[in-house]
Amino acid sequence: MIDNGFPLTTEPSILKEMIAPPNLVSKMLSVVTGNASNVSDTLPSGAGSCVPWRPTDPKYSSNEVYVDLVEEMDAIVNRDGELVKCEIYGEVQMNSQLTGFPDLTLSFANPSILEDMRFHPCVRYRPWESHQVLSFVPPDGEFKLMSYRVKKLKNTPVYVKPQITSDSGTCRISVLVGIRSDPGKTIESITLSFQLPHCVSSADLSSNHGTVTILSNKTCTWTIGRIPKDKTPCLSGTLALEPGLERLHVFPTFKLGFKIMGIALSGLRIEKLDLQTIPPRLYKGFRAQTRAGEFDVRL
Amino acid sequence: MFNKFGSTSETLSKASAGLLRIGTDAHLYDDPEDVNIAPLLDSKFESEKCEALKRLLALIAQGFDVSNFFPQVVKNVASQSSEVKKLVYLYLLQYAEKRPNEALLSINYFQKDLGDPNPLVRAWALRTMAGIRLHVIAPLALAAVSKCARDPAVYVRRCAANALPKLHDLRLEEHASAIEELVGILLNDHSPGVVGAAAAAFTSICPNNFKLIGKNYKKLCQILPDVEEWGQILLIGTLLRYVVARHGLVRESLMLSIHGTNSNGFCEKDGLGRDLTLDKEDGGKSDSFDVNLVSLVSKCYIQGPDEYLSRSSCTDTVSSAFDTKETTSIAHNEDVKILLQCTSPLLWSNNSAVVLAAAGVQWIMAPLEDVKKIVKPLLFLLRSSSASKYVVLCNILVFAKAVPSLFAPHFENFFICSSDAYQVKAYKLEMLSLIATTSSIASILREFEDYIKDPDRRFAADTVAAIGLCAKRLMTIPTTCLDGLLALVRQESFAGDFESADGEAGVLVQAVMSIQTMIERDPLRHEKVLIQLFRSLDSIKVAAARATIIWMVGVYCSLGHIIPRMLTTITKYLAWSFKSEASETKLQILNTIAKVLISAEAGDFHMLKRIVVYVFELGEYDLSYDIRDRTRFLKKLLSCKLASHEPAEDSVASQENIAAHVVEHVFGRKLKSVSPITLHNRFYLPGSLSQIVLHAAPGYEPLPKPCSFVYEEQDQLSDLDKQREAAADLDGSEESSETGDENGSSDYDSESSNGSDFSSEGDERTVSNDANDPAAPLIQISETSVSADQEELRSRRALDLWLDDQPSTSNQTPSALNSNQSSYAKISIGDVGSRVKPKSYSLVDPGNGSGLKVDYAFLSEVSNVSPLHVCVEVLFENSSAEPILEVNLEDEESMKVADSSEQTLVGKANASYNNIPTLIPMEEISCLEPHQSTKRLIQVRFHHHLLPMRLTLHYNEKKVPVKLRPDLGYLVKPFSMSIEEFLATESRLPGMFEYSRRCTFDDHVKDSRTENGKDKFLSICESITLKVLSNSNLHLVSVDLPVANSLEDATGLRLRFSSKILSSEIPLLITITVEGKCTEVLNLTVKINCEETVFGLNLLNRIANFMVEPSSSAT
Repeated sequence: MIDNGFPLTTEPSILKEMIAPPNLVSKMLSVVTGNASNVSDTLPSGAGSCVPWRPTDPKYSSNEVYVDLVEEMDAIVNRDGELVKCEIYGEVQMNSQLTGFPDLTLSFANPSILEDMRFHPCVRYRPWESHQVLSFVPPDGEFKLMSYRVKKLKNTPVYVKPQITSDSGTCRISVLVGIRSDPGKTIESITLSFQLPHCVSSADLSSNHGTVTILSNKTCTWTIGRIPKDKTPCLSGTLALEPGLERLHVFPTFKLGFKIMGIALSGLRIEKLDLQTIPPRLYKGFRAQTRAGEFDVRL
Repeated sequence: MFNKFGSTSETLSKASAGLLRIGTDAHLYDDPEDVNIAPLLDSKFESEKCEALKRLLALIAQGFDVSNFFPQVVKNVASQSSEVKKLVYLYLLQYAEKRPNEALLSINYFQKDLGDPNPLVRAWALRTMAGIRLHVIAPLALAAVSKCARDPAVYVRRCAANALPKLHDLRLEEHASAIEELVGILLNDHSPGVVGAAAAAFTSICPNNFKLIGKNYKKLCQILPDVEEWGQILLIGTLLRYVVARHGLVRESLMLSIHGTNSNGFCEKDGLGRDLTLDKEDGGKSDSFDVNLVSLVSKCYIQGPDEYLSRSSCTDTVSSAFDTKETTSIAHNEDVKILLQCTSPLLWSNNSAVVLAAAGVQWIMAPLEDVKKIVKPLLFLLRSSSASKYVVLCNILVFAKAVPSLFAPHFENFFICSSDAYQVKAYKLEMLSLIATTSSIASILREFEDYIKDPDRRFAADTVAAIGLCAKRLMTIPTTCLDGLLALVRQESFAGDFESADGEAGVLVQAVMSIQTMIERDPLRHEKVLIQLFRSLDSIKVAAARATIIWMVGVYCSLGHIIPRMLTTITKYLAWSFKSEASETKLQILNTIAKVLISAEAGDFHMLKRIVVYVFELGEYDLSYDIRDRTRFLKKLLSCKLASHEPAEDSVASQENIAAHVVEHVFGRKLKSVSPITLHNRFYLPGSLSQIVLHAAPGYEPLPKPCSFVYEEQDQLSDLDKQREAAADLDGSEESSETGDENGSSDYDSESSNGSDFSSEGDERTVSNDANDPAAPLIQISETSVSADQEELRSRRALDLWLDDQPSTSNQTPSALNSNQSSYAKISIGDVGSRVKPKSYSLVDPGNGSGLKVDYAFLSEVSNVSPLHVCVEVLFENSSAEPILEVNLEDEESMKVADSSEQTLVGKANASYNNIPTLIPMEEISCLEPHQSTKRLIQVRFHHHLLPMRLTLHYNEKKVPVKLRPDLGYLVKPFSMSIEEFLATESRLPGMFEYSRRCTFDDHVKDSRTENGKDKFLSICESITLKVLSNSNLHLVSVDLPVANSLEDATGLRLRFSSKILSSEIPLLITITVEGKCTEVLNLTVKINCEETVFGLNLLNRIANFMVEPSSSAT
């Protein structure tokens, strides 16, 4: 909400209380009664409090906290097949449904691997400075508690080996994708996409696993899914260059996508999540997942 | 078939869209005018009004002018439904400026809404009122803002802070100081949300009023982490500017690092320099940072680059710009320390702008060894949206230019992703070429090799240019790099044949340029490279690249042994190709052959001369003006050379000799190495828009001049402590907090001045002792500002002493003036009561009443019947010639009740109320002789404080209906309270229970003319008090005199009255504040604090009215 060009409030919890997001019930109500407003007549309780991100007194019959580690792997593999840069960008996402005014502490087993971090405003800086513990009063519902970066990883779970040879106006291309180091969980929804250079006039690509699509803007996507046990997925085919060109002098960059559920590749582990006052019927849940972020493989 | 299917899918999609929109207002946008809006607006159902207003807003959104509905819409502002109200407000904001007169009608409702118990309603009203950009409303809006600035609800106070810039935008010079004062009050708020908004108001209204910041500096620093992000950004900037203005730059910081070395040879810098170089892996380089550039940056921050660069002698002033006086040291300065402490955790903020602002503070203020902690947070920002990536890179680039070693170990962060935007890629390349070190250059070059093969050729060209930049910075760049570039040139020159894309040409040109920069460093070693380049001239087709190579032929024509021997061949080739060249190449050919001719050896001279003459002939008849001009110019210049037969002939005339010298100078000069720093860099404050666009954006201000702000109080903290002690000494009760209000106890004080008039010793001043102590002085005075003169002043607190002894007081006042806070004296006026003349009104005119004249006046006595009754003195006078008999006054209604017994029902219904008679009748006057007058006392209970009472006047057996009008001023009774009680009650009645109005007052002008001997202040006080007490039944609590001000200026004079409402016993407080010169018409601000809003407002209007009325007592 903006007043005179200056943000009056951007806190989602306050905004939601001020103007209720439309849902089925409110819609039905407005149809039935003819006019029911989503605009609240009262000031949201959080607007004046010292923790504006939290409505003052949410009530839940069952108290639940979920912590998700969502990590993205950024990597660059150069033309020599060398891993130039490999790092993890991660987020700690939480979904808290807790009654009252809970005070949480979250600690990691190995906080020293974190290179940089950024916190949600609810996180107190002092405890982190002194003993690397996240102490906070959580907002209600889903939010991003912190984001972090872990640098200088040594290995990627998937390898991509592209090869290209060009001769007298045509190029032969072949790309192999396989598992380099097994993370212990299945690697899902592997995709490989790349932009064909402008000088390519037509392409004929096929694969022994998965599907290949080429869009009109010369974007080529190879959807692999899971890697089969018995064979190594391989994309191969020929590219025809524009007439007059002998060989290819610009090369595409492959962007890899994958998803691994149940594991944080950075190795970051949550030690424990404590509540200062433990409400009845508390349920705590932890999950982790890693997917590819900016994963470039250059040809 | 397909067609049919298409149509069904269309209807399907329509239906699904319709389904989605059920329950929303989206349909209102389709055709807002499909119903008649006007009757809906007048509907008695809120929902219909609501729909009509939504339709109007939909029309506004679609660009229609619906201002013709204005009167109808404004009428609805009184609606009870908050939704209707809100929609009306939106409409008003749109059209109020267009229809100012009608908009004024709504003001009353705003005023009413400002007193609403719901904070949301108050906030809406305030936002709308401030948003109506009418000058007429501005004073009202300002009053509303100042009221809301003390509202108990945080949200309303925040809206008040947001409203201030809107008022400021109206450019009301007369209110500027009031607005700034409000900013100060809001900055002092204890809620972080309010402080954030106040910081925004501060930056847009008075960014250089550092006094406001100085008062609360420590508190602002402490509250900074809790302020919401938008406020944080502005507050960080404000605090930084304050510290620079107050204390100057920090001596240990990067900004002043060079001065440390200059002033005292041995210095920290050596150690720090080592620290910095230790960060780098090689540690061998000495250029840990570029001293000149850093000083340039710091000067740009202070002065603004435009001003700075406009002065030509920029390099001379490097060392003399900052006095040591203007700097400070972090070890000794608490303020700087606090600022750095409170901003450093913000480097972990989730908001990129906050991180950047915090990094800016550390960059400018932090000691050298601490600056590196900004690096990682800044690098982390690179993993965000592409727009913020770009902004962050712009700022990092400046930091890296000044101190490349900061970022050198983190070069991997600037490796380019295929998903980066072109601009981001370009900045990353620039960063890489800036921070490359001998240890990292190998991996950076390997990356560059990959980039050159990128499909984006513009980016590839930039990469090639970046290689050149790296080569320029680092001497030890591998020769493989040069080979690679040469290979690239060869490859590109082939590719260029087939593809005429601009991108390829760009890569080629950049490659040639990069090779040129590398050769420039050590031309002798790269002779072979030059020869290769010259050989490839034939295959290179791009004009710019050819021109560069041809230029190189000219520059290096006398280098080594092989090149001079090639010259004739090359020039022959150039002459041959001249006709088919592009014009930029032709120009270079002309220059080059001129150079070649001058440095030519004897053997080749004749040959070369013939080639030159040939080329000149071709050039003279070229199509392009430029080439013809250049040719003629060169021909004239070289005429002596062309005429001679030997390359170095000295036997020429002196005139020709001069020409030869000119020629030597123009063409024979060796290349001068250009300094790697381009001194025309423009630096703006980190995080500013100007740094992104590289020119001063509107609103950009450099840092204030160091130490330009002199804080007037010596030391705030010790001062406060002193005061506390003094206050504790005086009465033990701690009410005074002079400026800081650090304990936050009086955040909602209703005093708009700096709070010093909260008496710390008011209790010693007796309030009502004047009645029993006839010897008590007329006015008691006491100083409230705690100072050394305290005792002296108190020792003679009689005003007459003070007045008689003007010189001595003026001796005392300077201290009060110096402390820059207006002091107040409190006086109480003793014997005014005797001079109060109640005002009388006429009930019956002698003309109407056949000679009977009846006047009445309200008495201040309290009724003995019930507290609800008011005593009225009625004066009967017979102005006729005959006696009047049986004069009496009776209540009209009670008579009716007595007459007709049928009306008992009504009577019973409010019997309990009617137990108390409305009129205590007076004694009947049996006979009134001509010219005789008699007074009678009646006691009346008014039904309503505004409605007149109907009475019947009996005389001579006639009945005349008369109306007795209530005087609001007498529907209250004096309520004696001390000043402490008054202030306590007042603080309990803030916000909506407080209303104020302004009026003028000029009674004292006549008074002061008549009574010259009297003190002006006193006479003003007296005349105001008299006026108030003559018109209403109040108790004078206290009078505050401004002591520190000039004797002519009555601003700050404040009178306080207290009373209780008769009917409800609710206390009602009145404060009258005076502004203006003693001898002129004064402006009064009358403020009422009362829970009974309606009564209070009416009384306020009444007071404002009678203050303006000419006084009856003066005439």
